[in-house]
Amino acid sequence: MPPRLPGIPLPRPAAPGGHADPGLQPERTVLSWDRTVLALHVTALMFVRWYSEVGVWAFAPAALAALVGAVIMLGQRRRYGRQSSGITVKRVRPAWRTVAGMVAFVVALSCLGLTAMAALLASGAPL
Amino acid sequence: MCTQSAPDADVDGTAAAPGRRPWEERLLDGGREPDPRFTLANERTFLAWIRTSLALLAGGVAVEAFAGEMFPPTVRFTLGALLLVVGALLALGAGVRWLRVERAMRNARPLPLPLVVPVLAGAVVVGTVVLLAATIARMG
Repeated sequence: MPPRLPGIPLPRPAAPGGHADPGLQPERTVLSWDRTVLALHVTALMFVRWYSEVGVWAFAPAALAALVGAVIMLGQRRRYGRQSSGITVKRVRPAWRTVAGMVAFVVALSCLGLTAMAALLASGAPL
Repeated sequence: MCTQSAPDADVDGTAAAPGRRPWEERLLDGGREPDPRFTLANERTFLAWIRTSLALLAGGVAVEAFAGEMFPPTVRFTLGALLLVVGALLALGAGVRWLRVERAMRNARPLPLPLVVPVLAGAVVVGTVVLLAATIARMG
């Protein structure tokens, strides 16, 4: 056994929450959520384009996206842990709540955009 | 998981996850939890569709906002609205597909065909033809 150098920790066994999946599924899934949150912010910030027409309300989608994004990002650690231990016990409960919430948010964003366009059309402002 | 036998939630006591409510069980169509890796793959596929849908939304707002003098206002407006509608439909389709795949996997049924694909392909073709026609009409 080599002499133990001060300050260098001994190798530790895998954390109890670790998984044995070489496909790194939990990591890929959590990263996928990360990318989705990024896309969410980009899309929501596009709505700032209506700033000159509706003022600060143009930031409403961005604020909403910040909220939804925060909820998703704050849950990432827990999500990874659940998926990781789920692979170990061979049971992961499908995250239907998050899926449904995501669909609802994207549809709401689309409706907001259509409403803004319809309002613009109705106001008779030059397109 | 093709090796799973067709489970029966009432007979097979292991089918129901502990603490799952009856309506939740109905939503997922009973069955038993598939290999967790497949559940996660389904989740990632759903997220990929959601990102596609978000890209369409961003494109819809962008076309309406930034296309400038390139296209006449009516074309810009129509294209923007079309992209927004297709984006919403795609998000709904992604959710429905996620659920259908989840149900199929839980009952060891063959996976459903992605019906969202023809919708997206059709929308992109329509959008391109509209743009092309508008551009040619403008030039001519």
